[in-house]
Amino acid sequence: MNWTAILEFARGPFFYAALLIFVAGMIYRLVTVIGLGWSKDRVPAKGSKAGGVVMSFLKGILVWPFIPWVKNTFKRNPLIYIGGGLFHLGLFVVVFLGTAHMLVFKSLLGFGWGTLPLPIVDWLAAAGIVGMLILLINRIIHPVLRLISGPAEYLAWLFVFLPMITGYALTHHLGPRYEVMYSLHMISVNVLLIWIPLSRISHFIFYFFSRAIHGQEFGKRGVRV
Amino acid sequence: MTATKQALNAFVHETGGWVASQLEACTRCGMCAEACHFYQATGNPEYAPVWKVELLRRAYEQRFTIFGAIKTALGIDKRITDEDLQHWSDLNYYACTVCNKCSMVCPMGIDLGSLLHGMRAGLAAAGMVPADLMTAVNKQIEEGSPLGMTDSVWDQRLEWVADEWEVEIPRDVQGADTLVVFSSIEVMKFPTNIAAIAKILNAAGEKWTVSSKAREVVNFGFYQGSEENTKLFLSRVLEGAKELGVKRIVVTECGHAYDALRWHAANWLPEANDFEIIHITGVLGELVGSGRIRLKPGAFDGDGTITFHDACKIQRKGGHIQEPRDILKVLAPESFKEMTPNREQSVCCGGGGGVIAVKAADPVRYAAFELKIDQVNKVGAKTVVMTCSNCRLQFTDSVDHFKLDWKVIGLAQMVADALVE
Repeated sequence: MNWTAILEFARGPFFYAALLIFVAGMIYRLVTVIGLGWSKDRVPAKGSKAGGVVMSFLKGILVWPFIPWVKNTFKRNPLIYIGGGLFHLGLFVVVFLGTAHMLVFKSLLGFGWGTLPLPIVDWLAAAGIVGMLILLINRIIHPVLRLISGPAEYLAWLFVFLPMITGYALTHHLGPRYEVMYSLHMISVNVLLIWIPLSRISHFIFYFFSRAIHGQEFGKRGVRV
Repeated sequence: MTATKQALNAFVHETGGWVASQLEACTRCGMCAEACHFYQATGNPEYAPVWKVELLRRAYEQRFTIFGAIKTALGIDKRITDEDLQHWSDLNYYACTVCNKCSMVCPMGIDLGSLLHGMRAGLAAAGMVPADLMTAVNKQIEEGSPLGMTDSVWDQRLEWVADEWEVEIPRDVQGADTLVVFSSIEVMKFPTNIAAIAKILNAAGEKWTVSSKAREVVNFGFYQGSEENTKLFLSRVLEGAKELGVKRIVVTECGHAYDALRWHAANWLPEANDFEIIHITGVLGELVGSGRIRLKPGAFDGDGTITFHDACKIQRKGGHIQEPRDILKVLAPESFKEMTPNREQSVCCGGGGGVIAVKAADPVRYAAFELKIDQVNKVGAKTVVMTCSNCRLQFTDSVDHFKLDWKVIGLAQMVADALVE
């Protein structure tokens, strides 16, 4: 088997299978959690629950990632803010605003959108990779993170890191031949897609639950989120 | 292993989608540790809130997720043992006040306070509650109060307060508007609070009463995490209120009791919604704001800096954040100064959640209080005001322990002292 064939497989049947597992897996995860039942809250509210939810998302999406120093905890563990912020920013920009990735979405969804110039995406990709390294170092040296991290946490890190580093190498023509690098990138993406529903990387979907709950709880009590 | 089984059943019972979705949202970033006063004070990584709820997460994953079930079957994931429960009992009851500060820093916004309460539910079901706390719970079941406020003690104390401070305390008045439920901490340890609140409500012309049936607002079942006991103690208050036909129930300066009655009771006992349930801080804000009582402006100025300590269950979890400030700006416009962080971001006193009732928790409780000492010293305050008697107990005890020259006072008492007749 040559690399051209491997690449065809990795970006063809393997990719579609991984995508299917990802979507089906996430739906399964959602259904099982929702299916556990939600009891009705009969406690009369003091403030606005809806207002709390809106604030919670605004704060979660705008304040948290971009102005972390509003939090007193920033001083106590800046690495996790900087690492986490860089990583997520880099990831979102590369995945949704990188031209190559947009074209994949376009082929899947039937429509595309504007993207950012390559140099910007490229720098943010590098920032994302640096962010991931910071997060890894923090996980290894911080006593609390050492305590709460097991193989699952390190595997999740690895499975996210591989597509990023291979993708970066791919755009810069680093390492082995183009087909080889491209194959490695696609294989690692597929592995990640399969791994997401099996791991805590799925937090991106439950984020919407927990932030809504947070907003509800604080809004209900008339307290700023 | 029966203890474990009971704990697991309780964990399972706790695990609706509400809890599960939040457990799933956790990325294990460890940020919550940085918010925890017990972790900050001791540096013990096991005090990280995410680690304190570890058993709840493990039980959930093993019972409700395929991956968890497979991992347990293969022996990769450890089954929960009695030893685990004992260990986590220490972590949760000694070094957590369920103050919910961690929820404020969680990037996912997980309501950790509720999960920590869920942990306690499991530990309580397993009987893994510190002996000191259980003694108090049992005392409340049998005598109606964890501090030994029996029928006769209640009678004597109230008569004595009425005599000593020359204040009228209406008792068991049928058809009163407002039922005031004191905590036994106030009745037994801060009787001036009783006199103060009576004086204020009388001055406002409020039709109020206390009830000999609903005389104890403290809820040690809530500390313990036992739904059964929490409901029992709540229902005593609600029954007393129903008997007297009151419209609203005022919880006095007690934090967790307010949390239980205001924010949880209706979900267990729908009759709670027959009453307006409000904290005395809210009532004070109302009375001062509407002019039903008048205060001498600047009554507390000129005696050193005064600062306000936000209680986790009354301010952060209760929403009565603005009222104390409005009142203090009248009472001490010159000398009132804020600590940082404050309001909903405030640092817990370290004595709540039943921690102060557990002798073995003393070292970590005092360690956590050192954060408070720093905060108070930074504003140079000589007087610390609060609206929670449990905080006040922690403050007075720690002021003794650390030999500090602070004055610790409840807000109601200040208001009563500054009343203009």
